[in-house]
Amino acid sequence: MPPLTACPECDLLLKPADLITGEKAVCPRCGYLLHRAREQSIERVLALSIAGLILAIPANFLPLIGIRFMGNSNESTLWAGAVSLFGQGLWLVAVLVFLASIFIPLLNTLLAFLISVHLHFNRPHPHLAHWLRWLQHLEEWAMLEVYLLGIIVACVKLSDTADVHLGFGLYAFVAMLLVNAMLTTSLDEVLFWQRIAELDRKKHA
Amino acid sequence: MLRQSALAQGLVRCHVCGHLHPLAKNRHARHCKVCGGLLHARRPHSLQITLALLISSYALYIPANIFPIMTVTQLGMTEIHTIIGGIFALVEKDMAPIAVLVFVASILVPLLKLLGLSALVLHVHLRWQGNTRWWMRIYRLIVFVGRWSMLDIFMISILVAVVDLSGGVSHVIAGPAATAFAAVVVLTMIAAKSFDPRLIWDNHTAL
Ligand SMILES: [Zn+2]
Ligand SMILES: [Zn+2]
Repeated sequence: MPPLTACPECDLLLKPADLITGEKAVCPRCGYLLHRAREQSIERVLALSIAGLILAIPANFLPLIGIRFMGNSNESTLWAGAVSLFGQGLWLVAVLVFLASIFIPLLNTLLAFLISVHLHFNRPHPHLAHWLRWLQHLEEWAMLEVYLLGIIVACVKLSDTADVHLGFGLYAFVAMLLVNAMLTTSLDEVLFWQRIAELDRKKHA
Repeated sequence: MLRQSALAQGLVRCHVCGHLHPLAKNRHARHCKVCGGLLHARRPHSLQITLALLISSYALYIPANIFPIMTVTQLGMTEIHTIIGGIFALVEKDMAPIAVLVFVASILVPLLKLLGLSALVLHVHLRWQGNTRWWMRIYRLIVFVGRWSMLDIFMISILVAVVDLSGGVSHVIAGPAATAFAAVVVLTMIAAKSFDPRLIWDNHTAL
Protein backbone atom coordinates (compact mmCIF):
# COMPACT_ATOMS: atom_id res chain seq x y z
CA MET A 1 0.00 0.00 0.00
CA PRO A 2 1.48 3.41 -0.91
CA PRO A 3 1.73 5.90 1.96
CA LEU A 4 -1.49 7.90 2.20
CA THR A 5 -2.69 10.84 4.24
CA ALA A 6 -6.11 12.19 5.09
CA CYS A 7 -7.40 15.75 5.30
CA PRO A 8 -7.80 16.74 9.00
CA GLU A 9 -10.99 18.75 8.34
CA CYS A 10 -12.93 16.53 5.88
CA ASP A 11 -11.14 13.14 6.18
CA LEU A 12 -10.64 12.84 2.41
CA LEU A 13 -8.08 10.14 1.62
CA LEU A 14 -5.14 11.66 -0.27
CA LYS A 15 -1.79 10.79 -1.76
CA PRO A 16 0.79 12.97 -0.01
CA ALA A 17 2.25 15.55 -2.38
CA ASP A 18 6.02 15.74 -2.72
CA LEU A 19 6.52 19.44 -2.27
CA ILE A 20 9.53 21.56 -3.04
CA THR A 21 10.22 24.64 -0.92
CA GLY A 22 7.65 27.37 -1.32
CA GLU A 23 4.96 25.09 -2.73
CA LYS A 24 1.75 24.33 -0.90
CA ALA A 25 -0.76 21.49 -0.96
CA VAL A 26 -4.48 22.21 -0.57
CA CYS A 27 -7.26 19.67 0.03
CA PRO A 28 -9.21 19.35 -3.26
CA ARG A 29 -12.50 18.81 -1.42
CA CYS A 30 -12.63 21.35 1.42
CA GLY A 31 -9.75 23.70 0.61
CA TYR A 32 -7.79 23.05 3.83
CA LEU A 33 -4.12 24.03 3.63
CA LEU A 34 -2.53 20.60 4.09
CA HIS A 35 1.12 21.49 3.89
CA ARG A 36 3.32 24.40 2.98
CA ALA A 37 6.97 23.51 2.53
CA ARG A 38 9.18 26.07 4.29
CA GLU A 39 12.77 26.90 3.59
CA GLN A 40 15.16 25.91 6.41
CA SER A 41 12.25 25.48 8.79
CA ILE A 42 14.24 23.94 11.66
CA GLU A 43 17.03 26.54 11.59
CA ARG A 44 14.55 29.43 11.39
CA VAL A 45 12.48 28.11 14.29
CA LEU A 46 15.66 27.68 16.34
CA ALA A 47 16.85 31.24 15.67
CA LEU A 48 13.41 32.80 16.20
CA SER A 49 12.77 30.90 19.44
CA ILE A 50 16.08 32.14 20.90
CA ALA A 51 15.14 35.71 19.91
CA GLY A 52 11.67 35.22 21.42
CA LEU A 53 13.06 33.96 24.74
CA ILE A 54 15.44 36.93 25.00
CA LEU A 55 12.71 39.47 24.14
CA ALA A 56 10.34 37.95 26.71
CA ILE A 57 12.39 39.43 29.56
CA PRO A 58 12.03 43.17 28.71
CA ALA A 59 8.50 42.57 27.34
CA ASN A 60 7.35 41.16 30.67
CA PHE A 61 9.12 43.42 33.15
CA LEU A 62 9.58 46.84 31.55
CA PRO A 63 6.64 49.28 31.57
CA LEU A 64 4.28 48.98 28.60
CA ILE A 65 2.46 52.28 29.06
CA GLY A 66 2.36 55.06 31.62
CA ILE A 67 -0.11 57.84 32.41
CA ARG A 68 0.13 61.27 33.98
CA PHE A 69 -2.99 62.89 35.43
CA MET A 70 -3.18 65.96 37.66
CA GLY A 71 0.38 65.64 38.88
CA ASN A 72 0.08 61.91 39.60
CA SER A 73 1.71 59.32 37.41
CA ASN A 74 1.73 55.54 37.14
CA GLU A 75 3.22 52.88 34.88
CA SER A 76 2.11 49.37 34.09
CA THR A 77 3.89 46.20 32.97
CA LEU A 78 2.52 43.02 31.39
CA TRP A 79 2.81 41.31 34.79
CA ALA A 80 0.96 44.09 36.59
CA GLY A 81 -2.16 43.51 34.43
CA ALA A 82 -2.68 39.97 35.72
CA VAL A 83 -1.48 40.77 39.25
CA SER A 84 -3.84 43.70 39.86
CA LEU A 85 -6.86 41.72 38.60
CA PHE A 86 -5.87 39.04 41.11
CA GLY A 87 -5.67 41.71 43.79
CA GLN A 88 -9.26 42.78 43.04
CA GLY A 89 -10.50 39.23 43.60
CA LEU A 90 -11.14 38.35 39.96
CA TRP A 91 -8.77 35.40 40.09
CA LEU A 92 -10.41 33.51 37.19
CA VAL A 93 -9.91 36.45 34.81
CA ALA A 94 -6.44 37.05 36.26
CA VAL A 95 -5.39 33.45 35.57
CA LEU A 96 -6.78 33.65 32.03
CA VAL A 97 -4.95 36.92 31.29
CA PHE A 98 -1.75 35.48 32.78
CA LEU A 99 -2.01 32.30 30.66
CA ALA A 100 -2.93 34.00 27.36
CA SER A 101 -0.52 36.94 27.54
CA ILE A 102 2.47 35.62 29.49
CA PHE A 103 2.67 31.92 30.28
CA ILE A 104 1.50 30.16 27.11
CA PRO A 105 3.42 32.40 24.64
CA LEU A 106 6.56 31.81 26.73
CA LEU A 107 5.94 28.06 27.03
CA ASN A 108 5.35 27.78 23.26
CA THR A 109 8.61 29.58 22.51
CA LEU A 110 10.45 27.33 24.96
CA LEU A 111 8.91 24.18 23.42
CA ALA A 112 9.79 25.39 19.90
CA PHE A 113 13.37 25.98 21.09
CA LEU A 114 13.70 22.54 22.70
CA ILE A 115 12.29 20.73 19.64
CA SER A 116 14.29 22.63 17.03
CA VAL A 117 17.58 22.40 18.93
CA HIS A 118 17.23 18.59 19.13
CA LEU A 119 16.24 18.27 15.47
CA HIS A 120 19.03 20.59 14.31
CA PHE A 121 21.73 18.57 16.10
CA ASN A 122 20.05 15.22 15.30
CA ARG A 123 19.71 14.37 18.97
CA PRO A 124 16.83 12.01 19.76
CA HIS A 125 14.91 12.70 22.97
CA PRO A 126 12.11 10.61 24.50
CA HIS A 127 9.90 13.71 24.91
CA LEU A 128 10.24 15.23 21.42
CA ALA A 129 6.82 13.99 20.28
CA HIS A 130 5.18 15.16 23.53
CA TRP A 131 6.66 18.63 23.15
CA LEU A 132 5.41 19.05 19.59
CA ARG A 133 1.99 17.72 20.59
CA TRP A 134 1.74 20.28 23.39
CA LEU A 135 2.92 23.04 21.08
CA GLN A 136 0.15 22.19 18.59
CA HIS A 137 -2.50 22.13 21.32
CA LEU A 138 -1.41 25.37 23.00
CA GLU A 139 -0.82 27.45 19.89
CA GLU A 140 -4.28 29.04 19.73
CA TRP A 141 -4.23 29.99 23.44
CA ALA A 142 -1.36 32.41 23.02
CA MET A 143 -3.05 35.76 22.31
CA LEU A 144 -0.31 38.37 22.05
CA GLU A 145 -1.84 40.08 19.00
CA VAL A 146 -5.21 40.44 20.75
CA TYR A 147 -3.41 41.86 23.78
CA LEU A 148 -1.70 44.46 21.58
CA LEU A 149 -5.10 45.56 20.27
CA GLY A 150 -6.21 45.77 23.93
CA ILE A 151 -3.26 48.09 24.67
CA ILE A 152 -4.19 50.30 21.69
CA VAL A 153 -7.85 50.57 22.76
CA ALA A 154 -6.81 51.30 26.37
CA CYS A 155 -4.43 54.06 25.18
CA VAL A 156 -7.15 55.72 23.09
CA LYS A 157 -9.58 55.59 26.02
CA LEU A 158 -7.02 57.05 28.41
CA SER A 159 -5.81 59.77 26.05
CA ASP A 160 -9.19 61.48 26.58
CA THR A 161 -8.40 62.41 30.18
CA ALA A 162 -4.73 61.70 30.89
CA ASP A 163 -1.28 62.07 29.32
CA VAL A 164 -0.31 58.67 27.93
CA HIS A 165 3.28 57.73 27.15
CA LEU A 166 4.61 54.49 25.69
CA GLY A 167 7.24 52.53 27.61
CA PHE A 168 10.25 50.59 26.37
CA GLY A 169 8.45 47.36 27.33
CA LEU A 170 5.88 48.04 24.62
CA TYR A 171 8.56 48.03 21.89
CA ALA A 172 9.95 44.76 23.28
CA PHE A 173 6.39 43.37 23.39
CA VAL A 174 5.73 44.25 19.72
CA ALA A 175 9.09 42.73 18.73
CA MET A 176 8.25 39.55 20.71
CA LEU A 177 4.84 39.40 19.00
CA LEU A 178 6.42 39.68 15.51
CA VAL A 179 9.05 37.04 16.34
CA ASN A 180 6.36 34.66 17.64
CA ALA A 181 4.20 35.21 14.55
CA MET A 182 7.19 34.50 12.28
CA LEU A 183 7.99 31.41 14.36
CA THR A 184 4.46 30.05 13.88
CA THR A 185 4.57 30.53 10.10
CA SER A 186 8.10 29.10 9.81
CA LEU A 187 7.25 25.87 11.64
CA ASP A 188 6.65 23.16 9.02
CA GLU A 189 4.73 20.60 11.09
CA VAL A 190 4.84 17.88 8.42
CA LEU A 191 8.64 18.17 8.25
CA PHE A 192 8.96 18.25 12.06
CA TRP A 193 6.91 15.05 12.48
CA GLN A 194 8.93 13.35 9.71
CA ARG A 195 12.22 14.25 11.38
CA ILE A 196 10.97 13.13 14.81
CA ALA A 197 9.92 9.75 13.36
CA GLU A 198 13.31 9.42 11.61
CA LEU A 199 15.23 10.16 14.82
CA ASP A 200 13.04 7.63 16.65
CA ARG A 201 13.79 4.93 14.05
CA LYS A 202 17.52 5.67 14.20
CA LYS A 203 17.49 5.32 17.96
CA HIS A 204 15.81 1.90 17.82
CA ALA A 205 17.90 0.60 14.90
CA MET B 1 -9.95 4.42 -3.93
CA LEU B 2 -9.46 8.16 -3.65
CA ARG B 3 -12.34 10.66 -3.33
CA GLN B 4 -13.37 8.71 -0.24
CA SER B 5 -12.99 9.40 3.43
CA ALA B 6 -10.22 7.61 5.30
CA LEU B 7 -12.81 6.18 7.70
CA ALA B 8 -14.71 4.56 4.80
CA GLN B 9 -11.44 2.81 3.89
CA GLY B 10 -10.95 1.59 7.46
CA LEU B 11 -8.23 4.12 8.28
CA VAL B 12 -7.90 6.55 11.20
CA ARG B 13 -5.87 9.74 10.96
CA CYS B 14 -3.94 10.69 14.10
CA HIS B 15 -5.24 14.18 14.93
CA VAL B 16 -1.84 15.26 16.25
CA CYS B 17 0.80 14.10 13.75
CA GLY B 18 -1.39 13.07 10.79
CA HIS B 19 -0.16 9.47 10.59
CA LEU B 20 -2.76 6.97 9.21
CA HIS B 21 -3.52 3.83 11.19
CA PRO B 22 -5.83 0.88 10.43
CA LEU B 23 -9.12 1.07 12.33
CA ALA B 24 -9.04 -0.91 15.59
CA LYS B 25 -11.00 -4.16 15.47
CA ASN B 26 -11.94 -4.06 19.13
CA ARG B 27 -13.27 -1.02 20.91
CA HIS B 28 -10.19 -0.36 23.00
CA ALA B 29 -8.60 3.06 22.62
CA ARG B 30 -5.19 2.98 21.02
CA HIS B 31 -2.29 5.37 20.90
CA CYS B 32 -0.47 6.61 17.80
CA LYS B 33 2.87 4.85 17.39
CA VAL B 34 4.53 8.02 16.06
CA CYS B 35 3.46 10.67 18.57
CA GLY B 36 1.63 8.81 21.34
CA GLY B 37 -1.64 10.74 20.84
CA LEU B 38 -4.96 9.00 21.45
CA LEU B 39 -6.48 7.66 18.22
CA HIS B 40 -10.11 8.12 17.30
CA ALA B 41 -11.72 8.34 13.86
CA ARG B 42 -14.00 11.21 14.96
CA ARG B 43 -13.79 13.25 18.16
CA PRO B 44 -15.75 11.19 20.74
CA HIS B 45 -19.14 12.69 21.71
CA SER B 46 -18.34 15.75 19.60
CA LEU B 47 -21.92 17.04 19.28
CA GLN B 48 -22.86 16.38 22.93
CA ILE B 49 -19.78 18.17 24.31
CA THR B 50 -20.16 21.10 21.91
CA LEU B 51 -23.85 21.43 22.82
CA ALA B 52 -23.17 21.29 26.59
CA LEU B 53 -20.54 24.02 26.29
CA LEU B 54 -22.87 26.10 24.11
CA ILE B 55 -25.72 25.94 26.64
CA SER B 56 -23.34 27.04 29.42
CA SER B 57 -22.14 29.91 27.22
CA TYR B 58 -25.69 31.10 26.46
CA ALA B 59 -26.41 31.11 30.21
CA LEU B 60 -23.25 33.09 31.02
CA TYR B 61 -23.85 35.53 28.15
CA ILE B 62 -26.74 37.07 30.16
CA PRO B 63 -24.80 38.07 33.35
CA ALA B 64 -21.90 39.13 31.11
CA ASN B 65 -24.15 41.79 29.56
CA ILE B 66 -26.24 42.77 32.60
CA PHE B 67 -23.61 43.20 35.34
CA PRO B 68 -20.99 45.96 35.37
CA ILE B 69 -17.73 45.06 33.64
CA MET B 70 -15.81 47.92 35.24
CA THR B 71 -16.16 50.83 37.66
CA VAL B 72 -14.21 54.00 36.98
CA THR B 73 -13.60 56.47 39.82
CA GLN B 74 -12.17 59.86 38.93
CA LEU B 75 -11.91 62.78 41.37
CA GLY B 76 -14.65 61.37 43.55
CA MET B 77 -17.02 60.69 40.64
CA THR B 78 -17.90 57.04 40.10
CA GLU B 79 -19.10 55.65 36.76
CA ILE B 80 -20.32 52.06 36.41
CA HIS B 81 -20.01 50.54 32.93
CA THR B 82 -21.63 47.47 31.41
CA ILE B 83 -20.21 46.16 28.12
CA ILE B 84 -22.80 48.09 26.09
CA GLY B 85 -22.48 51.14 28.38
CA GLY B 86 -18.75 51.25 27.71
CA ILE B 87 -19.42 51.29 23.97
CA PHE B 88 -21.93 54.15 24.30
CA ALA B 89 -19.43 56.08 26.41
CA LEU B 90 -16.90 55.76 23.58
CA VAL B 91 -19.42 57.05 21.05
CA GLU B 92 -20.19 60.06 23.25
CA LYS B 93 -16.50 60.89 23.47
CA ASP B 94 -16.27 60.95 19.63
CA MET B 95 -14.29 57.73 19.49
CA ALA B 96 -16.59 56.00 17.02
CA PRO B 97 -13.96 53.81 15.27
CA ILE B 98 -12.82 52.35 18.63
CA ALA B 99 -16.48 51.95 19.64
CA VAL B 100 -17.13 49.92 16.48
CA LEU B 101 -14.05 47.77 17.19
CA VAL B 102 -15.16 47.03 20.77
CA PHE B 103 -18.74 46.41 19.57
CA VAL B 104 -17.55 43.84 17.01
CA ALA B 105 -15.20 42.07 19.45
CA SER B 106 -17.46 42.09 22.55
CA ILE B 107 -21.02 41.89 21.22
CA LEU B 108 -21.10 40.79 17.58
CA VAL B 109 -18.40 38.07 17.60
CA PRO B 110 -19.59 36.19 20.73
CA LEU B 111 -23.21 36.32 19.53
CA LEU B 112 -22.38 35.15 15.99
CA LYS B 113 -20.15 32.44 17.46
CA LEU B 114 -22.96 31.14 19.68
CA LEU B 115 -25.53 31.21 16.87
CA GLY B 116 -23.10 29.82 14.26
CA LEU B 117 -22.02 26.88 16.43
CA SER B 118 -25.68 26.16 17.31
CA ALA B 119 -26.52 26.09 13.60
CA LEU B 120 -23.57 23.76 12.91
CA VAL B 121 -24.65 21.33 15.65
CA LEU B 122 -28.24 21.37 14.34
CA HIS B 123 -27.01 20.97 10.77
CA VAL B 124 -25.11 17.78 11.60
CA HIS B 125 -27.67 16.38 14.05
CA LEU B 126 -30.72 16.92 11.84
CA ARG B 127 -28.78 16.05 8.65
CA TRP B 128 -29.71 19.28 6.93
CA GLN B 129 -28.62 19.28 3.33
CA GLY B 130 -27.03 22.27 1.73
CA ASN B 131 -23.78 23.64 0.47
CA THR B 132 -21.10 21.82 2.47
CA ARG B 133 -18.39 24.32 1.56
CA TRP B 134 -20.59 27.10 2.94
CA TRP B 135 -20.95 25.33 6.32
CA MET B 136 -17.22 24.73 6.30
CA ARG B 137 -16.66 28.47 5.80
CA ILE B 138 -18.86 29.23 8.85
CA TYR B 139 -16.87 26.72 10.92
CA ARG B 140 -13.50 28.21 9.91
CA LEU B 141 -14.71 31.76 10.53
CA ILE B 142 -15.84 30.77 14.07
CA VAL B 143 -12.47 29.17 14.83
CA PHE B 144 -10.62 32.20 13.44
CA VAL B 145 -12.51 34.99 15.23
CA GLY B 146 -12.90 33.30 18.65
CA ARG B 147 -9.75 34.67 20.28
CA TRP B 148 -10.44 38.30 19.31
CA SER B 149 -13.28 38.52 21.84
CA MET B 150 -10.64 38.65 24.57
CA LEU B 151 -10.01 42.27 23.53
CA ASP B 152 -12.27 43.76 26.22
CA ILE B 153 -10.79 41.57 28.97
CA PHE B 154 -7.22 42.53 28.05
CA MET B 155 -8.14 46.19 27.82
CA ILE B 156 -9.65 46.07 31.32
CA SER B 157 -6.57 44.31 32.73
CA ILE B 158 -4.41 47.15 31.34
CA LEU B 159 -6.72 49.88 32.65
CA VAL B 160 -6.89 48.28 36.10
CA ALA B 161 -3.09 48.16 36.32
CA VAL B 162 -2.30 51.62 34.95
CA VAL B 163 -5.18 53.70 36.31
CA ASP B 164 -4.31 53.32 39.97
CA LEU B 165 -3.39 56.81 41.07
CA SER B 166 -2.69 57.61 44.68
CA GLY B 167 -4.99 59.64 46.93
CA GLY B 168 -8.16 58.37 45.25
CA VAL B 169 -7.54 60.65 42.25
CA SER B 170 -8.42 57.91 39.80
CA HIS B 171 -8.79 54.16 39.74
CA VAL B 172 -10.53 51.38 37.82
CA ILE B 173 -12.09 48.28 39.36
CA ALA B 174 -13.08 45.30 37.22
CA GLY B 175 -16.66 44.05 37.75
CA PRO B 176 -18.31 40.62 37.96
CA ALA B 177 -19.32 40.70 34.28
CA ALA B 178 -15.62 40.34 33.41
CA THR B 179 -15.57 36.82 34.86
CA ALA B 180 -18.79 35.85 33.06
CA PHE B 181 -17.61 37.33 29.77
CA ALA B 182 -14.18 35.67 29.98
CA ALA B 183 -15.94 32.35 30.66
CA VAL B 184 -18.13 32.84 27.54
CA VAL B 185 -15.04 33.45 25.39
CA VAL B 186 -13.16 30.41 26.74
CA LEU B 187 -16.17 28.06 26.67
CA THR B 188 -17.06 28.98 23.07
CA MET B 189 -13.41 28.50 22.03
CA ILE B 190 -13.45 25.00 23.59
CA ALA B 191 -16.87 24.35 22.00
CA ALA B 192 -15.46 25.22 18.55
CA LYS B 193 -12.51 22.90 19.21
CA SER B 194 -14.84 20.08 20.32
CA PHE B 195 -16.86 20.28 17.12
CA ASP B 196 -15.49 17.82 14.57
CA PRO B 197 -15.79 19.41 11.07
CA ARG B 198 -15.52 15.97 9.45
CA LEU B 199 -19.07 15.30 10.67
CA ILE B 200 -20.27 17.89 8.13
CA TRP B 201 -18.77 15.78 5.33
CA ASP B 202 -19.87 12.42 6.77
CA ASN B 203 -23.37 13.80 6.85
CA HIS B 204 -23.12 14.84 3.22
CA THR B 205 -21.66 11.61 1.81
CA ALA B 206 -23.82 9.27 3.90
CA LEU B 207 -26.90 10.18 1.89
ZN1 LIG C 1 -10.33 18.41 3.16
ZN1 LIG D 1 0.24 10.60 15.92
